[in-house]
Amino acid sequence: MNGGAVAEFDRFRRRVLAAGAVALAVCAAGAAGNPDQFFRSYLFAYLFWIGIALGCFAIVMLHHLVGGSWGVVIRRLLESGAGTLPVMAVLTLPLLAGLPRLYVWARPEAVAGDELLRHKAPYLNVPFFLGRLAFYFAVWIALAYWLNKWSDEQDRTLRPEVKTRLQWLSGPGLVLYGLTVTFASVDLVMSLEPHWFSTIYGILFMTGEALATIAFVIVALWLLADRKPMSDVLRPTHFHDLGNLMLAFLMLWAYVSFSQFLIIWSGNLPEEIPWYLRRLSGGWGWMAAALLVFHFVVPFVLLLSRYNKQRLRILAAIAGGVLLVRLVDLFWIVMPAFHSGGLAVHWMDVLMPVGIGGLWLAAFTWQLKRRPLLPAEGGY
Amino acid sequence: MAKEGQSGNPAVAEVEAPVIGPGHTYASVTDKISSIVLTRKTPRAWWIGFTITFLLTMLLLYSIGNLLVRGVGLWGVNVPVGWGFDIINFVWWIGIGHAGTLISAILLLLRQEWRTSINRFAEAMTLFAVANAALYPLMHMGRPWLAYWLLPYPNTMGTWPQPRSPLVWDVFAVSTYALVSFLFWFIGLIPDLATLRDRAKNRFVKIVYGILAMGWRGSAIHWQRYETAYLLLAGLATPLVVSVHTVVSFDFSIGIIPGWHATIFPPYFVAGAIYAGFAMVLTLTIPIRSYYGLEDFITMRHVDNMGKILLATGLIVAYGYMMETFMAWYSGSKYEQYMILNRMQGPYKTLYWALIVCNVVVPQLLWSQRVRRNLIALWIISLVVGVGMWLERFIIVVVSLHRDFLPSAWGMYRPTAWDWSTYIGTLGFFLALLFLFIRFLPMISIFEMRTLVPHPAGKARH
Repeated sequence: MNGGAVAEFDRFRRRVLAAGAVALAVCAAGAAGNPDQFFRSYLFAYLFWIGIALGCFAIVMLHHLVGGSWGVVIRRLLESGAGTLPVMAVLTLPLLAGLPRLYVWARPEAVAGDELLRHKAPYLNVPFFLGRLAFYFAVWIALAYWLNKWSDEQDRTLRPEVKTRLQWLSGPGLVLYGLTVTFASVDLVMSLEPHWFSTIYGILFMTGEALATIAFVIVALWLLADRKPMSDVLRPTHFHDLGNLMLAFLMLWAYVSFSQFLIIWSGNLPEEIPWYLRRLSGGWGWMAAALLVFHFVVPFVLLLSRYNKQRLRILAAIAGGVLLVRLVDLFWIVMPAFHSGGLAVHWMDVLMPVGIGGLWLAAFTWQLKRRPLLPAEGGY
Repeated sequence: MAKEGQSGNPAVAEVEAPVIGPGHTYASVTDKISSIVLTRKTPRAWWIGFTITFLLTMLLLYSIGNLLVRGVGLWGVNVPVGWGFDIINFVWWIGIGHAGTLISAILLLLRQEWRTSINRFAEAMTLFAVANAALYPLMHMGRPWLAYWLLPYPNTMGTWPQPRSPLVWDVFAVSTYALVSFLFWFIGLIPDLATLRDRAKNRFVKIVYGILAMGWRGSAIHWQRYETAYLLLAGLATPLVVSVHTVVSFDFSIGIIPGWHATIFPPYFVAGAIYAGFAMVLTLTIPIRSYYGLEDFITMRHVDNMGKILLATGLIVAYGYMMETFMAWYSGSKYEQYMILNRMQGPYKTLYWALIVCNVVVPQLLWSQRVRRNLIALWIISLVVGVGMWLERFIIVVVSLHRDFLPSAWGMYRPTAWDWSTYIGTLGFFLALLFLFIRFLPMISIFEMRTLVPHPAGKARH
């Protein structure tokens, strides 16, 4: 990469890092007055950004398996996203300080008085929870490390057996991804309301992560499109394919969300329905309606048009919107666990995604500038 | 594109196995495929196979006739297991059909050109499987001549189908699916029917194919309209791959029976359908490919890809079993927990563990490319998966129903000889239709295969 671009990347990195640090510092000051809210906002923002890191990790493996030029042009972006997983592991640590504030099952007195929580105690207890988190991160970081290392080797040597090795890792890697993300979503989010359960929950998270990742990558591509190696190879067909991929994940998200809703609504069982009752009453209900319109109907209609998909500016605008509603969706999934009374947005809920996002984007940019923006393998 | 590929880059230059054998021309492709229908002598094995499956079709007709005369009491269904072989086989057959739609619609839209040589065959398989599937709910009604009551139409009886029931959604899902699958298959056949019309020597054969070809002349405007219609139908068929089995999964999951009421059912059923469907495609194509010498058209690359899809969908199905088991414990509900224990240790435990071996353990062999490229091994695995998916439906339907909330209402289900004769009859009917299809229609799309032949003027196809 030429010197000018590196300088520009460094400038961007310093800016987002500063913005993130300031936002986090303000939130940390707020934590003194309202520690409960600090951890809730932190969890919600953390889930959004780790979702993109994990989505990058999954889609790069998917691309190794199925191929296609759409993936070659975004491969460095995805690899850089996966490369931020060690940073996300560090950003998990503040969360651990607030476990009893976030999770009912981490408060011994609450568990003692609740038969169901006593039943779940062999799974939902602090040491096992920490062990599982450590295991998930070990798997993610190790796999992402090898994927990036071999990708570098492929760039240097261009030997076909490196490609075979990447494919060989990606099949089992995706299986491990599916299992770890499923249980991580149960541990971190589902167990906020420990009486409730849903077997499709892991898939809901995987699709949401994939959707956010594609949207993020499209926006990043738009920012990089005028730069030298990118401007030579990017064609409308790439945007068209990425737009279709975003459309596919959007429909998958809607399908999975609707399936879960329909099955629980029609069963109307006392152990399942409270989750939706909480999320469909008062302000939360309006938020659900807005999600239906802006997380599905509007982007769906816009993405049906070939005209919109083949123009990167329009596509990036849609993707930016999708990223925003992903944030709202996560808010709607996480926060009603704490505010069953009605919709409540704290200033930390707004600032925290900026704070963690700043640190994450800085790590992402640092990863991105280390290597050429396009893999030497070619095939774009 | 081609230039970039040749830029001295070994990672790209790595040659993938071809989707068509070497040395073929437009004429040789047309000859090879159309000769099976037009000129080659009908092989003795075809006659033997068709006779056996025709007799089994007669067994099906006998079983149905008996059922209509004597009533549904012939079957093993009773309280508490009111759904038995009828629903098991309905779900099994309709699941098998999904591979055809996936191959023809989704792989077309994803520009996977390796699909070309297997799509026609898989679409035919879809149609015949749906025909068999649709028989079961009709028979289960007991009075199939009143089936039109399922349709919402203004009538003097003052009745209306319950729109909240997924069984009513099924009527629309399955009939739409059958109609679109038929249109897709038939429209895809038209250019080939015209080829057969032009090549046929016998006047009668010429007239029959001529009528079916609907005046196809192969003009530029015909092709242009054809391509548009085909793409539109592919777009229409794509949601059907997901919607039909999703509605089938709602038949179960909308209720509150433990073992049925699980949110994972929709994606897990769809993956299971594609799993069973690809298994059936492999079960059928591997012998036909060898028998008719179609190795140039259905290459090892096809076989390998289908093995991979089998593995991927099998893993999703295994994920479904895992989540059901974990959440049954995690839920803390004693009914959910008992449902899983009853599967593993109850009276049907042998079938449950056989299911795990067939659907989860054995397919792990497909991780190895050696196994995926070993035709005999792959064929056996495809049969094992077919059996496994049937067992899965048995476990879901029967084991969930036979012991629900009240122990005093528990009971056992045993299929009767009539259940078996109907099931074996549908297997025969399915294969008999396939034998007729192979004999009278081109089982591989001739004109689409011609597009895969390297262009005579240059090396690149684009």
